[in-house]
Parts: sequence; structure tokens; C-alpha cells
Amino acid sequence: MIIDRRRSLESCTESGWDAEDLLTDAEIDDEFIHKLKRLDGSLIYMKALKKPFFKLEYHDYVIKGIKGDLFFRMAYHKDSKYKVDEAIKRLNEE
Amino acid sequence: MIYLNNAATSYPKPDKVINSINKALNALPSGQFRSGGIFSDDDLFSECRKKLGLVFGIKDVDRIFFSSGSTEGLNQILFGLGFKANEYLTTATEHNSVLRPLYNMGSGEPVIVPCDENGKVSPEDIRKSITHDTKAIVINHCSNVTGAVQDMDAIGQIAEEYRLCLILDCSQSAGCMELRIDDWNVSACAFTGHKSLMGIQGTGGFYIKKGIELKPLIYGGTGRDSRVIKYDGDYEYEAGTRNAPGTAGLSAALDFLLETRIDVIEKKERQLTDYFIAEISSIPGVRIFGKDIEKRGPVVSIGIDGVKPSDAAYILQNGYDIVTRSGLQCAPLIHKYIGAGEDGVLRFSFSYFTKEEELNAAIEGIKDIAMSAAG
Repeated sequence: MIIDRRRSLESCTESGWDAEDLLTDAEIDDEFIHKLKRLDGSLIYMKALKKPFFKLEYHDYVIKGIKGDLFFRMAYHKDSKYKVDEAIKRLNEE
Repeated sequence: MIYLNNAATSYPKPDKVINSINKALNALPSGQFRSGGIFSDDDLFSECRKKLGLVFGIKDVDRIFFSSGSTEGLNQILFGLGFKANEYLTTATEHNSVLRPLYNMGSGEPVIVPCDENGKVSPEDIRKSITHDTKAIVINHCSNVTGAVQDMDAIGQIAEEYRLCLILDCSQSAGCMELRIDDWNVSACAFTGHKSLMGIQGTGGFYIKKGIELKPLIYGGTGRDSRVIKYDGDYEYEAGTRNAPGTAGLSAALDFLLETRIDVIEKKERQLTDYFIAEISSIPGVRIFGKDIEKRGPVVSIGIDGVKPSDAAYILQNGYDIVTRSGLQCAPLIHKYIGAGEDGVLRFSFSYFTKEEELNAAIEGIKDIAMSAAG
């Protein structure tokens, strides 16, 4: 479950996008990563890495994170900040 | 955490830098020329200028001025000369600290000389690009993207031949390779303290050759000739209270560099760079931008097939505890010439303190990412 959000210290400023880190109440697991399919976009999951990496990409936002972390990053076009609210709502639905 | 982002800011710093700043912060503050006390910062700044002269190959050290870094120094030089933007000739390798001042002067656009796929600028291309409007050449000595070092002997000769101002951005080269500012006929140069000079953020400066006058960007108190409100051409360039603790750190950093010897530092960093390039060259799906450079700084930029540089940097930082830098590196024009995409590159940059085992960890991370992306 997503419990908090904060402006990313390493936002995608060079590309002109903003980014936020979304904090979870438990380590991100496969179930959570599977839930990302509720959102629009194509999901990439690189399981063979030392720590598996996932990324969901859509035309005006990107979600990326590492399995086992307590946060993931959501970068978005400056006009699509509302997509963060939408993503939190859909990912927190049971 | 393994830190391979030294081209942004070097880390760690020599112990003597930290100790020197600590000592400066604990000492009684004194004004620059503003008090007659025994604790004079004038000695600190003068001593630092002398050491900078040794590192930069500048004899006339009184023409070195302190600033907050290269960006302020370059803005001071580029705006201070009073030329129009189209009177500047610069290159595709430049950082935005050069490009943005020039493109925002509001007086046309500079002439951009292309570079090759390694980020190297041909002196002959510079010669061919000189127009009857050209008054100055502005060039990045060492690319912060590919590490390519430009041929300053040849470019200095061209500047002299055409009687042009030669402005050198030493941000990436100062402290990690020999500089011969006087020998290269450089009219003005800018440097920052927090990269290979091993100082801290907020330090740096610029040099202006005697006879070249800049209109200051910033006016204010200097502690000298306070009755003079309107200058009669004899400008001062260090207005406001100077950064004494930062300069104390920079001075100690210069001691470290001079004691260690810059040729020794350059050799060690070159060995690390060559080793890293040799190891990643054989990884399928990895492309090195600027692989074939004879003279280079400690910077290696790569692309990995099927993975955006920003994703690779994220994976390395959060999955492997390795700090790198992804994207355009604030040098937006070079990427087209070196064949990188619009997402830029993934950059690894080293320092004298980088260890081979840290490179090995990065090499393993790159291998994992490339293999994973290949499926």
C-alpha cells in the first residue's frame, strides 16, 4: 500500500518532467508489481538483476522501482501531475 | 555506496581539505582588506592564487579572480567582454554554462563548430568556421560527456593567427591534467573548485589576461577604494564578502594536488579509465561513446541496448549502490554528433580515489543490465 509521497530529490528535470517518490508500507513484492497492470502503459520487469527492476511506461508518465524497496518513482509530464493521484488510488484498491 | 560521478562533484575529498575548512570556520573571521587585524584573509586568497597559477600554468596570478564556480566565471567572461552572441565561435561539446549565456544574450546566435563521434573538435574546422564577425573562440578543454581533450596548442595558434580572444572552459580538466594557459595564448578561462581540483561546491574562479577588460556582472563592496562609486574602467571582480572557508579548502586541495603531482593523478586516472573501457568493451549490447580518444579525462559514457540511460542509472543506484549520472549531462548539443539518442548517455567518472574494485562492481552491474535487456 502507498502511504506517502514526496518530491523526488532526483527528479527528471533534464527532460522537463517532474518526479515523485511514492512510499510503501511494505517491501515491494511481485504482487505489487503485478498490480501495476491496472494502470495504462507497458510493463517491463527485469527479474534477473541483483535486485529486480520494474518499469511501467506511458506517454505522459513513467513508474520505476526495485523489488524489495520501500519506495518507487513516478515521473510525469508537468501537465499530468494528477496521474499520481490516480495511480495511488488504483494501486491502493484491494 | 560506490561513487562514480566525480565529473559532477568529486568525492571523497582529501582529509586536508576537510581539516582546512574546519579550521577556517573555527577561526576568527576577518574582512577581505576590511580590517587591520592580524588574521588577514588576503594571505589566504593570495596564497591560493599562487597555487592556482602553478596548476594552470599562469604567471600573472593577480589576474585570477575567485567566483562561485565555472558558471559564474563563464557568465562574467562572456557577458563582460561585450561581444554580440554571433561574434562568438564555440563548439558542439559545450556545457550549458557556455551555451545558455550565449543563446540568451539577445544578439543573435553563436557559430557552432561540430565535433566528431568521440567529441573531438578539429582545429581546422574551427579555422574554417571563423567569419569576419568572429571575435572570440570559446571551447571546452575536456568534454564532460566523452572525456575528449581538445588540442589547445593548435587552437591557441589559430586564435593568435586571427587575433581572436580564446576563452577556455577548464571545468573538467583542472586538477586532472596539465594546463598551460599562458603557453596556449588563452585570453580568459574559467574553473570550478569542486571537481578534479578537489575543493568544495561554491568555489572556483576565472582568469583574464592582462589588457583584456571585462565589464563586471556584479558590483558591490570590495573593501578597497570605497569612495569610488563609479568606476573609470579599472574594474574589480570580487564584490561582496568572499568565500574564505571554501577558499581555504581549495587552497588545501591545491596543496594536495601539487604534493601528489598532477601527472601522477592523470596517470592513475588514465589507468582506471583504460581498464574500465577494456572490460566493458566486450559486453554485448554496450556502446562506448568516445572510445577512441588518445588524450582523455577520467570520464566514460555508454549506452546499453534496450535500456534508457536513466533506467540504467536508477538500477545501478538502487540495485547495486553505485552512483552514476544519466542524461544529457547539461551538454545538449554533443549527443547528436557522438551518436547518442535524445535520452543522452550513462556516464561513469572517476577520481584519484576511485578503487579498481569499485570499477569491477560497476562492470558487473553493466553486464547484468545488458544481459537482462537482451533477454
